[in-house]
Amino acid sequence: MAGYKEVSVAGYEDFMQAVEQHNGKTVFAYFSGSKDAEGKSWCPDCVQAEPVVREGLKHVGEGCVFIYCQVGEKPYWKDPNNDFRKKLKLTAVPTLLKYGTPHKLVESECLQANLVEMLFSED
Amino acid sequence: MVLDFVAPSPQGTSWGLGGTCVNVGCVPKKLMHQAALLGQALTDSRRFGWEFSQQVKHNWGTLTEAVQTHVGSLNWGCRLSLREKAVAYVNAHGEFVEHHKVKATNGKGQKTCYTAAKFVIATGERPRYLGIQGDKEYCITSDDLFSLPYCPGATLVVGASYVALECAGFLAGLGLEVTVMVRSVLLRGFDQEMAERLGSSLERLGVRFLRKFVPVAVLQLEKGSPGRLKVVARSTEGPETVEGVYNTVLLAIGRDSCTKGIGLEKIGVKINEKNGRIPVNDMEQTTVPYVYAVGDVLEGKPQLTPVAMQAGKLLARRLFGGRLEKCDYVNVPTVVFTPLEYGCCGLSEERAAQEYQRENLEVYHTVFWPLEWTVACRDNNACYAKIICNKLDNERVIGFHILGPNAGEITQGFAAAMKCGLTKRLLDDTVGIHPTCAEVFTTLEITKSSGLDIMQKGC
Repeated sequence: MAGYKEVSVAGYEDFMQAVEQHNGKTVFAYFSGSKDAEGKSWCPDCVQAEPVVREGLKHVGEGCVFIYCQVGEKPYWKDPNNDFRKKLKLTAVPTLLKYGTPHKLVESECLQANLVEMLFSED
Repeated sequence: MVLDFVAPSPQGTSWGLGGTCVNVGCVPKKLMHQAALLGQALTDSRRFGWEFSQQVKHNWGTLTEAVQTHVGSLNWGCRLSLREKAVAYVNAHGEFVEHHKVKATNGKGQKTCYTAAKFVIATGERPRYLGIQGDKEYCITSDDLFSLPYCPGATLVVGASYVALECAGFLAGLGLEVTVMVRSVLLRGFDQEMAERLGSSLERLGVRFLRKFVPVAVLQLEKGSPGRLKVVARSTEGPETVEGVYNTVLLAIGRDSCTKGIGLEKIGVKINEKNGRIPVNDMEQTTVPYVYAVGDVLEGKPQLTPVAMQAGKLLARRLFGGRLEKCDYVNVPTVVFTPLEYGCCGLSEERAAQEYQRENLEVYHTVFWPLEWTVACRDNNACYAKIICNKLDNERVIGFHILGPNAGEITQGFAAAMKCGLTKRLLDDTVGIHPTCAEVFTTLEITKSSGLDIMQKGC
């Protein structure tokens, strides 16, 4: 298992707190539609992409941080003024990104193992 | 496989995947051009009723950060595109060692060899230096300007290429003091009447021109970000010398092809020894049948991003897609993105006269005053449009030129029309869109041969 730390958060405030806590580290973030009581997300693409992302995590470097962020319920996500859209400039879920860089994968790109691997192993 | 490696500039600047256009050319240039236009718009806005009391000033750092963020996303986009198509990208300098084999050296000096059946050379160009005292130590080029970590301040631009004029234009538009040192003509190779009108528009913006001078030394008076540099220049017409002090000296005197040091001589790919460019046939093939070339390195072809992209795409289709189409290099439109833009497609008046004889040409022209400039009280004789028609061929439009706002957007459609065989009659039959600048081309009446005055009166 690669030496990365996983942090689970929900909502924008939690996310930004986690980012600050790990200032100075390489931070990857995966944004997904929130899961229900049974652990299933309202976003079908997010459900499909998660195993691909988890597989790709095996390539991540030592000391990296992986933030798994549940963005919220569908109506919140659809609101064009939500914090994720306005402040983080997210356009869709799932989004997988390397925080503080332009390296990101959006929607169907997250389903492609080769692209996910590239994002995690980039230096 | 793509072997891409950017050797750092003398000032240490380097960049990611995507070539000159994405990193240190078209893209950052157009964004900075837009920044300058927005400054002008702020000035004009007062006349349209906008009231604001703050002093409007420009922050260079904010601009470069925004530009570099966008460039970074384009670099990433290139990486994604390559990976999606399973193209291996190796960040290393490629060099032929023998037929069908290259040696790739990465930034750490590690070497790996690769073989392939076919090769494409698209190594582009880099800015040329003057070869005078202080040039590499103290001067910057377009390689450095778009990510410069400090505001350039009072700038001397050396050169009269479109790179020189575009940079001079947006720097002046951002409020900086700009001087342009020109050895002989502006925009060599372009229509000279248009070039001179463009030069005048820059002068009206406050750009100072030092015509017929060349720098002979650059000395550092003070270190800093920016520092202070003294430039000594000699007249091309006599012994006169002139000295000036500037914060930044930007060299834009031309670009050299990156075809030396990549082993072309080892496999016999012929290059033009004078300028380093590679002659190819109409299939972009070099003198060695399995080696092709596209882009700025090509001898005798327009050095423009869309030309390179088109040539590359069609080459790939011919090699692997069973298609036959060749790249059409005729009537390629281009635009100089100075604050007042210059768009053209086809021949300059000089070339047209050479190819068809002046008596067989009819040139229609006019000055025009954009409606938006009326209320803003801007010059009513600065914008100019002309078409060059071949009288022996139904007044076929063989040259299209416009100096005016949004020339870039305007020229595209007319380039397509010229591909369809545009004639003066067809232009006259086209109904104009009102009120626009582009519509002037549908109502051109005055010819140069008539000698009639086109200047606008009033205001």
